[in-house]
Amino acid sequence: MQRFNSLEYIKNSYNARISQIAEERKTGKKIVGTFCLFVPDEIIFAAGADRIILCGGKNETVSIAEQYLPRNICPLVKSSFGSIVNNGCSGVKSCSHFGMVDMVVAENTCDSKKKMYELLGDYVPTYVIDLPQRPDSPEALKYFLGELYKFKGAMEQLTGNKVTIEQLKKEIESSNETRKLFHKLYGLRKMDPPPISGVDVLKVLQKQYFLSTEELKKSLRMLICEVEQVEVEWAHKPRIMISGCPMAGGNTKIPEIIESKGGVIVAEESCTGTRSFWDLVDEDKDPMLALAERYIKIPCSCMSPNNRRIDNILELAREFKVDGVVYYTLQFCHGYNIERYKVQQALKKAGIPMLAIETDYGDSDLEQIGLRVDAFMEMLS
Amino acid sequence: MISVGIDSGSATTKAVLLNDGRIAAHVILPTAFDFLLAAEKAYKDVLADAGVDKTDVNHVCATGYGRNSIKFADRTISEITAHAMGVYHLYPDVNGIIDIGGQDSKVISVNGGRVTDFLMNDKCAAGTGKFLEYTAKALELPIEELGRLALTSKTPASITSMCTVFAESEAISLRARGFRKEDIAAGLIESVARRVAVMARQVGLKQNVAFVGGVAKNAGIKVALEKELGISLYVPPEPQVTGALGAALYCSS
Repeated sequence: MQRFNSLEYIKNSYNARISQIAEERKTGKKIVGTFCLFVPDEIIFAAGADRIILCGGKNETVSIAEQYLPRNICPLVKSSFGSIVNNGCSGVKSCSHFGMVDMVVAENTCDSKKKMYELLGDYVPTYVIDLPQRPDSPEALKYFLGELYKFKGAMEQLTGNKVTIEQLKKEIESSNETRKLFHKLYGLRKMDPPPISGVDVLKVLQKQYFLSTEELKKSLRMLICEVEQVEVEWAHKPRIMISGCPMAGGNTKIPEIIESKGGVIVAEESCTGTRSFWDLVDEDKDPMLALAERYIKIPCSCMSPNNRRIDNILELAREFKVDGVVYYTLQFCHGYNIERYKVQQALKKAGIPMLAIETDYGDSDLEQIGLRVDAFMEMLS
Repeated sequence: MISVGIDSGSATTKAVLLNDGRIAAHVILPTAFDFLLAAEKAYKDVLADAGVDKTDVNHVCATGYGRNSIKFADRTISEITAHAMGVYHLYPDVNGIIDIGGQDSKVISVNGGRVTDFLMNDKCAAGTGKFLEYTAKALELPIEELGRLALTSKTPASITSMCTVFAESEAISLRARGFRKEDIAAGLIESVARRVAVMARQVGLKQNVAFVGGVAKNAGIKVALEKELGISLYVPPEPQVTGALGAALYCSS
């Protein structure tokens, strides 16, 4: 596959971003660490704070976390917690940002995260947004809106800045711009074969909440421009959609296997994927209400019922002309693991084959997963 | 046309030589440490058995856990596809395959020889040949005896542990409580059958199901699986070589 200069640029952006954050802190700017798509960036930025993502995708800090947390919870929660209590990733470069946040803004999604945040509060100031989990009830929206107002207050208190309607509107426009850029990039993946690999796209997605919005948009524009120039030779590869758990920075395990076995990933129904940018925020409404309406509809498996996710998967599969779905879950992620059954039934009905893979951040199962993926590719071609 | 399929498994290496679509010879030997060495020996033996010279072989295809170590193979194929092709060749009406090998078990749904869905258990020894090997040891029995003895049991003991290590201690504690050997053996066999049957039901195997892999040679497991699933299973005369046969067929296609 093509090598893109803009990807090299994104890859090398880590150190620049770290220096930027260090500089910002010197000038008194507050840095907020987040884990989850349910935390609206727009409010953080409107308060004049900066934001970096803290989701851990590296295996090295899992064992550090196991001194505090049970072994049988998901590796993302363990890796993140381990990185934060360790102020970095123990000898792993590109990890120091974990020790640079003034406040963690968390959210009540799954049990493991929820309870982990209670422990995290001992190490770093942690603010938790409570998330109602019946997204379609009118009460839920009202409650979530209230939570967002409280969160806005907390951000104002942290930064000493007032969040104005104008500032919020500006940030909403800016975030929508980023979302539209991702739509444009994904649009190019509808070609057969797509001009960019899934592993490459994932590397951008993993930096989505790490880079400053300006850097992210600049990188995306550069990448889109490069991808548009690509002339692909025709060769049909099975078109795969990954659906399931997030693939946090440092974790490209499953996409790497899929694409090394002859498949090509054309879409990710994931937090590191469509769930992060698919819906825009309505720019014509009251900004706080528009944010609440947009964010509460993110089809995370902590929601119940979560039929919106099933509909979304079927819609994406059609739109991206998917040959097969790899249902990817992290070990002990009960929400996505249990939802697998419903997704499998829906895909079966639609005539789309699905392969389920449950794994962690370790390498011990590479061979076994490789075999399943080999067989799945043989099945699709 | 002459093609050879080699199935490089964790416990045994199998080779099948096809001459114009007809099985001319097959061999099974222990894999031991070196996958490539075992494959080379299996290749040599199957050529000798069939009385074929190496230079007359058109293609060699490899499958199985060690498939990528078989340097002299022209192509490789996953054992899931290989089993489907091999079993379909023997039973053209087959709709499902249960394969229990040394370190994993698989259930495969097939339609016209093509794989339509599959499930594997490979992270844990539950429901595999390894489970039987360990637990047979706890009963001081050679593994071949385990199944035979289990068939004589009238009141199988209940083994609830799926984990091989715990099942072994469970078997020992049943021994200490005075349970008969055949009843414990039957309990162990039923526990493997139960585990595999859950997978078979998940994939939706119903009729025309073949049982292959090394463990299919164990009559006790076959009976227990048939009881658990409520169907009768096809077991080929040589259930261990369907993967190698499939690889050979893949090569000649």
